[in-house]
Amino acid sequence: MARACLNGAPAAVSPKTMSFDASIDDVVDDPDAALLARYADGDEAAARLLTMQLSPRVFGHAFRVLGDGAEAEDVTQEALMRLWKIAPQWRTGEAKVSTWLYRVVANLCTDRLRKRRGGVPLDDIAEPADPAESAEAKLQRGSREDALQIALDALPERQRQAVVLRHIEGLANPEISEILDIGVEAVESLTARGKRALTALLSGQRDALGYSDDKT
Amino acid sequence: MTKPDTDMLEALFQDARATPPAMPDGLMDRIMADAVAQQPKAKSGGWRAIWQTIGGAPAFGGLVTATAVGFWIGVAPPSNLPDIATQIITGTEYASFDDTSLPDFSAFGWDIEEG
Repeated sequence: MARACLNGAPAAVSPKTMSFDASIDDVVDDPDAALLARYADGDEAAARLLTMQLSPRVFGHAFRVLGDGAEAEDVTQEALMRLWKIAPQWRTGEAKVSTWLYRVVANLCTDRLRKRRGGVPLDDIAEPADPAESAEAKLQRGSREDALQIALDALPERQRQAVVLRHIEGLANPEISEILDIGVEAVESLTARGKRALTALLSGQRDALGYSDDKT
Repeated sequence: MTKPDTDMLEALFQDARATPPAMPDGLMDRIMADAVAQQPKAKSGGWRAIWQTIGGAPAFGGLVTATAVGFWIGVAPPSNLPDIATQIITGTEYASFDDTSLPDFSAFGWDIEEG
């Protein structure tokens, strides 16, 4: 049984359901795992390298999903804290460090978003019929930089997570499926629907954002 | 969903990838402080360092073997080896247990000293 399982959820989850098989490529392609082993052996330089490499990615993902810098900051510190705590038990090859960490972040973000909605499970919430209504007004004032974030904030949580992981973090669908604990087909569906929704939200803002037809 | 719209979305994704959100001031330092606070102590120093200095388990095994063999040679030396203990006690250059010129003794001659 994997001691370092792919479990970032605050709720108790069976490690068996959260572990996954890793190929030998995962071992070779995961320098973060080597750094984590050095960290667990007391190497302070490894701690610094891991912090510098992973923190910006974690913060970026949390910020895009939550749309709030202060909350993203808390999530980043908490996610890294969990990594430091699990380091002595980490078994290289059973999970990629970055995949495990993204999953922790995804679950922490889900918890935060759930609290914002008053504890109602996200699955019980219907997708907004027309999320563009509230977002469009904000887009009128927003810069191009803010536009994508405002549109992302209007997406349902799972779509947002999938779109951010796929199109901003640049992860492959199989890795996203591990992070979100869903099938690859579900990831493809979420990202496709998310992109359609984003396009619909942003389509009326082409001129305001400086994207005229001849530029794109 | 028109092509210009999808191209615009792709351009926005590209901008987002190129300009990740800036880390808040002090966050990196706090994370690093957490890392150091949670980090297991380095496996060095104290008895572990001494153990490694003498060569670890293989060297210790050799040391134990050499000690045991040396002790046994002292207790029951081979007949063709000079008996160092007897030489020391008698002051002679060579002596052996079957040397009739010497009084019987045992226990390395401690009984002789005690009379």
